[in-house]
Amino acid sequence: MTALAQGLIRCHDCGYLSQQARQPRRCPVCGSRLHIRIPNSVQHTTALLLSSYALYIPANIFPIMTVTQLGVTEQHTIMGGIIALIDKDMMPIAILVLVASILVPLLKLLGISLLLLKVRYRWQSNARLWTTMYRIIAFVGRWSMLDIFMISILVAVVDLGGVSQVIAGPASTAFAAVVVLTMFAAKSFDPRLIWDNQE
Amino acid sequence: MNNFTDPYDAEEVIINRKSSLPLVWFLPLIAFIVSGWLIYKAVSEKGPVVTISFPNADGLEVDKTRIKYLDVEVGKVTAINISDDLKSIRVTAQMNSDAETYLKQQTIFWVVRPQVGLGGVSGLGTLLSGPYIGIKPGGGHRQTRFIGLTSPPLLKSNAEGKQFILETNNLGSMQPGTPINFHGIIVGEVLSHELSAEANAIKLKVFINKPYEQFVRKNTRFWIDSGVDLSAGADGFKVRTGPLISLLSGGIAFRASAEDAADAVMAENSLFPLYDTYEQSTQVFYSNTLKYVMYFNGSVRGLTEGAPVQLRGIPIGKVTGISLELDKKTAEIRVPVTVELEPQRISIVNNLPGVSDKDVVEQLIKKGLRAQLQTGSLLTGQLLVDLDFHPKSKIVLNTNTSVYPEFPTTASSLDQFAHSAQTILDKIAKLPLEDLSADISKTLQSLQSTSRTANTMLVTANTTLGSADKTMNSAHQVLNSLEPGSTTHYELDKLLQELGQTANSVKQLTDYLQQHPDTLIRGKKEE
Repeated sequence: MTALAQGLIRCHDCGYLSQQARQPRRCPVCGSRLHIRIPNSVQHTTALLLSSYALYIPANIFPIMTVTQLGVTEQHTIMGGIIALIDKDMMPIAILVLVASILVPLLKLLGISLLLLKVRYRWQSNARLWTTMYRIIAFVGRWSMLDIFMISILVAVVDLGGVSQVIAGPASTAFAAVVVLTMFAAKSFDPRLIWDNQE
Repeated sequence: MNNFTDPYDAEEVIINRKSSLPLVWFLPLIAFIVSGWLIYKAVSEKGPVVTISFPNADGLEVDKTRIKYLDVEVGKVTAINISDDLKSIRVTAQMNSDAETYLKQQTIFWVVRPQVGLGGVSGLGTLLSGPYIGIKPGGGHRQTRFIGLTSPPLLKSNAEGKQFILETNNLGSMQPGTPINFHGIIVGEVLSHELSAEANAIKLKVFINKPYEQFVRKNTRFWIDSGVDLSAGADGFKVRTGPLISLLSGGIAFRASAEDAADAVMAENSLFPLYDTYEQSTQVFYSNTLKYVMYFNGSVRGLTEGAPVQLRGIPIGKVTGISLELDKKTAEIRVPVTVELEPQRISIVNNLPGVSDKDVVEQLIKKGLRAQLQTGSLLTGQLLVDLDFHPKSKIVLNTNTSVYPEFPTTASSLDQFAHSAQTILDKIAKLPLEDLSADISKTLQSLQSTSRTANTMLVTANTTLGSADKTMNSAHQVLNSLEPGSTTHYELDKLLQELGQTANSVKQLTDYLQQHPDTLIRGKKEE
């Protein structure tokens, strides 16, 4: 039994239930627009997801930062940094960076893709599990910004002219865009759609 | 469950789809364009891959060592391997896309490491950053395999300027990189040195930077400007120093000649002699020289090769050779001195065509031009050959064994002095002193008797003097009587007055007689 079946619409912002037939479609409590489902949720999410995919490639192949130390300029990609950390026997940090910078965005992208596919092709499976996955994706999204915070702090703090300098590379912009876009994608996805398809 | 076919909802969905569809799909479009462009740029920036072989990989690191031209990064080392013959290493480098235009046959690679020498410090930046590979673009065919140089090339960039070749007999402290200064400004350097084909000289390849290469003209002189140049010649002591850097590591200097026009710039790779000292370089070299041989009597100690030949104090040539000759037949030792006269040093007035310099010199010799050794400097005792006119001296010629005509000489003033002193002494030695002393003793004896006679004569003379004294006394009295105030004086005065009066009356009488000559006959008429 859903609200929709009862002819009720739930406000996105304040959660107030109002009659579907109500004109204009505004919440009588907070005045926000009323929708049965987030409008064009699948389309928006797909668009954002595709953008994320597009930017995920340069984010990983281009240097995320350029470190100049005593005249030696070195460019680091995300993967290069992880390999360097492994080389220096800093396995825990390497795993942390790998998870936060590579696996999480990648899994997020794949997860949203799967959700979209489920909704689109109406895969009949455990909807509760899918919802849990959505929750995790929505929650974990912001933590991927760890790298970007790290770089922005380094760029600001380590600026000693010729001795040592950190410059953000093109990948950092792309990476930040991936994180933001996936967050928007997660947000624009209406999890109720998972249940709508359920027979 | 899925019966949400609400008419309003469906309507709204349609409206939403229309309005939001294009906007949201812009986002992936932009994302694809951005990432596509980034990838395209990265791929297009990748240029050719080159391999360079070096003797060793000291300090070179994969992904860290850069390839730089004029300190701009143009590539990066991507791999370092040992060559197949295990004798060198092979560096694989990823070049930038624009590197393609200059990866040619003559392109040079070398490893830049810090270098400290007397001439300066270079590549200091590599102390911290590690070595990098330098590149100097060259011409030729396209190529991707190169052999790196062990030492940096001398011209690290295509600097503008000209190369010249200097010829010298002695390399000294010259080496590639030795500075070349022009009035103290360092304007170039020695690039390389090699033995000439005949192995009798060393050819230095030098590079003069723009704009100083224009001062290398026809009469430009290069000389070794190494440190302190102390010379003691016939004209005294001289000290010259070059710039401090040349003082430490040697150097070459050059100077333009005022005789050259500004457009007489020499072509690239022109050959110039490199003089050993500044002194040498200042000597003007004349193409037209006359060589003579001179035979001097006596020692030529202090006369050196290169000593000036002066005419009235002005140098007109130099001594080119001094040797010693022994005539076995006559056992005679002679010193032929070869000199080189430069007639061009003498400016000609009233030039006669068809009269050669040799003829002129012969004419001058006939007029009494002779060579003479003279001390140039009392301090150093150096001799020089002085030419001057000695019209009275005869032309004394020796048996000339050299190929050059002989120039007559005359003894030097010092020699002449010594010679005359010698002859005087000889004459003194030849005097018959024994006979002379006997004669002198005889003379002395007769002188003795003479003096005795003289003594008696003196006694007589004494008495004579006594009578003379008396005579003098009486003469004195006579003179006294004539003094003013004496009676004789007064009377004389009176007499003179009367004589004057008498003369006056005689004058009156004669005047009268002149006017009235008849009075002689008729007597004076009464008035």
